Amino acid sequence: MLAFVAAYIFIFAWGWLLNGVFLKDVYAQTPNLWRPQSEMMSLFHWIIIGQALIVFAFVMIYASGFAGGGVLAGIRLGVLLEIAAVGMRLGFYAVQPFPGKLVFYGSVSGLIEMIIVGAIVGAIYKPATIRTA
Amino acid sequence: MDWKKFFVAFVAAFGFIFLFGFLWYGKLMHGAHQEVPILWRTEADFGNHFSSLVFGHIVMAFFLTLLCARFVPAGGPGACATLAILVALIYAGADLITFAVQPLTTKILCGWIVGDLIQFAIAGAIIGAIYKPAPAHITFVKERSS
Repeated sequence: MLAFVAAYIFIFAWGWLLNGVFLKDVYAQTPNLWRPQSEMMSLFHWIIIGQALIVFAFVMIYASGFAGGGVLAGIRLGVLLEIAAVGMRLGFYAVQPFPGKLVFYGSVSGLIEMIIVGAIVGAIYKPATIRTA
Repeated sequence: MDWKKFFVAFVAAFGFIFLFGFLWYGKLMHGAHQEVPILWRTEADFGNHFSSLVFGHIVMAFFLTLLCARFVPAGGPGACATLAILVALIYAGADLITFAVQPLTTKILCGWIVGDLIQFAIAGAIIGAIYKPAPAHITFVKERSS
């Protein structure tokens, strides 16, 4: 639970900083692909639920196969999952008229994000056998 | 790692993911996607970016196979499908975020999430059915981890 909360707080802050501040100008180049600001705000709860689902699934995967490996195992899982997500991004890029640099920035920032999420989860989550030892 | 079985599992997973994607997202959901035509590339433009779609599917299939091979050492369709469903939940989370920021319809959102779950569950089961290391290797992994 603690790992989930810590990773969630990070992913939320990172998402806001990256998409809401750093990449704002890049998104502005394709305004017809995005909802207006007011509409996004009315659907903001879906962002919260989506991010929570991502962190939940990450922690579950870590707990079921990586737990005990610590920070390095968490980072390894983060890198694996992010590279798979790059595949998904390339799929979207093929069908949606995104600028290529948005895919590039999204992938680089996603990699950094998942490395840090992995480190947080790996540092906090300890399997029961280790905790009781 | 048994690289021969890994490669066969990867190719099978890629074949399935690509075919399923074509049928589910390209054919079954075609009508739903056309409700918001502004979001998609034109047919000709899509053709120019088709290599990105193929490469993206190769990357997804490769890393799903790698994840299953490394972290479900005993293999098996059930265990790998469970892991793949968890991976699909990450994609579903990304779909929810996309829905909040792009003018997608709820029909598209639901179609994408259901598609992700079915696609990854079956792909995971295929990988688990094909990638089964020799019993001696499983024993070694269990001994090492205990």
